[in-house]
Amino acid sequence: MQKLSISTLAALVAASMTLPVTASAADMNYKVTDKPLELTIHLHTKKYVYNDDWPVEKRAQELTNVSLKNVASMATNKSEEAFNLLIASGDLPDIVGGSSLKENVNQYGPQGAFLPLNDLIEEHAPNLKAFFDANKDILNAISAADGNLYFIPYVPDGKFARAYFIRQDWLKAVGKETPQNIDELHDVLVAFRDGDPNGNGKKDEIPLFARQWEELIRLVTLWDGRVSGSDTYHDFYVQDGEIRHGYSEEGYKVGISNLAKWYAEGLIDPEVFTRGSRAREYLLSNDLGGMTHDWFASTSSYNDSVSEKIPEFSFKAFIPPEGISGKRVEANRRTKVKPEGWAISYTNEHPVETIKYFDFWFTEEGRNLSNFGIEGVHYDLVDGKATFKPEILNAGTPINTQMWQVGAQVQRGFYQDYEYERQWSNKHALEGIALYEAGDYLLEPYMGVAFVEDEKKVYDKYWPSIKTYMLEMQQAWILGTSDVNEDWDKYQSQLERLGYSKVMKVMESAYERQYGS
Amino acid sequence: MQSYNEKLAWLGRHLKREWQIYVLLAPTLIWFIVFLYKPMYGLQIAFKDYSVFKGIVGSPWVGFEHFTTLFGNDHFIRAIKNTVIISSLSLVFGFPVPILLALMFNEILNPKFKKTTQTIVYLPHFISTVIIAGIVITAFSPSSGVVNLLLQSLGFDPVYFLVKPEWFRPIFIGSGIWQESGFSSIVFLAAMAGVNPALYESAVVDGASRWQMMWKITIPCILPTIIIMLIIRIGNLLEVGFELIILLYQPATYDTADVISTYIYRQGLQAGQYDLAAAAGLFNAVVAFILVMSANTISKRLSNTSLW
Repeated sequence: MQKLSISTLAALVAASMTLPVTASAADMNYKVTDKPLELTIHLHTKKYVYNDDWPVEKRAQELTNVSLKNVASMATNKSEEAFNLLIASGDLPDIVGGSSLKENVNQYGPQGAFLPLNDLIEEHAPNLKAFFDANKDILNAISAADGNLYFIPYVPDGKFARAYFIRQDWLKAVGKETPQNIDELHDVLVAFRDGDPNGNGKKDEIPLFARQWEELIRLVTLWDGRVSGSDTYHDFYVQDGEIRHGYSEEGYKVGISNLAKWYAEGLIDPEVFTRGSRAREYLLSNDLGGMTHDWFASTSSYNDSVSEKIPEFSFKAFIPPEGISGKRVEANRRTKVKPEGWAISYTNEHPVETIKYFDFWFTEEGRNLSNFGIEGVHYDLVDGKATFKPEILNAGTPINTQMWQVGAQVQRGFYQDYEYERQWSNKHALEGIALYEAGDYLLEPYMGVAFVEDEKKVYDKYWPSIKTYMLEMQQAWILGTSDVNEDWDKYQSQLERLGYSKVMKVMESAYERQYGS
Repeated sequence: MQSYNEKLAWLGRHLKREWQIYVLLAPTLIWFIVFLYKPMYGLQIAFKDYSVFKGIVGSPWVGFEHFTTLFGNDHFIRAIKNTVIISSLSLVFGFPVPILLALMFNEILNPKFKKTTQTIVYLPHFISTVIIAGIVITAFSPSSGVVNLLLQSLGFDPVYFLVKPEWFRPIFIGSGIWQESGFSSIVFLAAMAGVNPALYESAVVDGASRWQMMWKITIPCILPTIIIMLIIRIGNLLEVGFELIILLYQPATYDTADVISTYIYRQGLQAGQYDLAAAAGLFNAVVAFILVMSANTISKRLSNTSLW
């Protein structure tokens, strides 16, 4: 298979190394060409387009002799629309990047709109080659159905995303310990409901809430049900090299029937489906919410912001309670690779220079530049490690915003460094992450497949209806309009009628082609 | 030959004399050509396996495949059903309200009171849909919504309206009426202003009551306007306020809330199937065309009032 050719030929490069050892940055030569070269780029995201004046871009220009000139317009903030207009016009710039790039380049690449990068990387890009050799799963996940790689991705770093959070001060108020299994969790939630932990004399506590109602569904993992395990809701999952969907399986049925019971008992926010994104803010700052499942960093930050109003407020991450089979499972993790990055279009007259330029961002110098900004301005090297300057950390503006403004941490093809985030996470988040780091709770991630045309047709024809039906039933069951145990057989046969096994068949063949050995 | 040349000469003279009128017509014509006729060219993707990169011309023909897919899908059939039900109900309940409002405003004698109340009922029209949805969600919230607080004070249990399929249509149609009927009453008020005052004067001389004047003079005089508005409404029957539905519905209420346009949005645009979305849109347009044609014909037969 073509997709494996990089790895087999690159056996000489030590696979364990993520990045090749480079000499100190100052004496490295990153020049791609002797004469300055200008390439055009369309990189459109919801928040920004590529900016020629970013200090990071200027620095990269000094180092590589390649400058990028933006052609994307901020006239629309819909990246998908901007991309479609670009493709439809046929007048492609040298480099195309931006949001939801993967699906697009993998569709139009095989039709001839973008260059396959495998051979270019093989011959001209040692750092990219080393990266993909060390991360074959990423290479597999983003290759098109024809086995070729059409874009260099934005690769996030760090494993953990969301966690279970509970009000430690409420636990103390009702005299309970942090719940370690389902029964204890149930007891705690009942105590939150009845014990008036916020002490206002009213029974207004919401024991369990979720900012996105889909987070509630992740709790089926307590009853051995399965959700995707990635950051995408209602997605497929992988177990022992096999692709499956949780919503048609026994554990899901048990999980949903128990969640429905909890909902009926008033343990789950009655308005979970409509409260929306402000649920966390509202329920925490009004001392109403007891437990949730949400992002480490942003949820931890409420310990600082709410404590002025509620002095004893303590909302801490706790490890997943044991499920019915005794396992502790965290059903969410950070995606290993984003569908974003950049690709070389067929009109580009300098593909070799372009791939060398892409390669620069995967050198140590390039990686620091894309993560931390400019050395001496935003960060210093301390013991060889990039460390933000104190004035950047204490500037008051979040670091990610500061970085976007100078052109670091933007959606070019680059390899994120978790250090960047760790250095500005608050101590509660770091404590929580350490808890999860100590155990092995994460599930194997499903990273997506690329369809050939016939498979895509089958998937597009059946899947949207199936998913609609699944979600309708899911909500009906939890709300108690219908009973999952009574409906289950009918549900299964209706899924079948909507084409479930046809979709699973194309998923299997696509998965086998992409990840099978 | 002779007559042809004569006609040409006449046309030349005519254009020379009346060119200002044609210049006035031009912007409208250009608008129609650029924004309505030219895009019709793209409708052909409903019959093609469309790829953005290959372009409209380069994509291969697939005949009626997309239509077969649509009509083979239970959810599309359900969407048609919901569209028809929601729009018929909002026609039945929503159409008379602006007329009633206009009649009421017409009878108010105190000009200050009239102006104030008119402004109050026009106002919701200028609020964006997102805000309307926010207001509706808050008003019907089971814990803090004004509707449920009212119910509770009357001794009822609170209802989680927004996830109950049976409540979706009343809420949607009701909020539509609340938002638009005030503004729609303007056209009827304008029609009433055009009624000849001599009719009312002679009615007063004949001793008619206000009630009789309304029934015998005002309503017959604005009837043509009512019928024209009705025909236009019927033409738009399948165009349900799609943004408000997207903002208000949940999988739990899809059963009564999912309409053709939301179906197109989920199936076509979110999944990138532009060809399928175009097919559904084309179907929508054909049905709307048939509806408006029949409404026009019926009205012409029954009342001699019609759009053309």
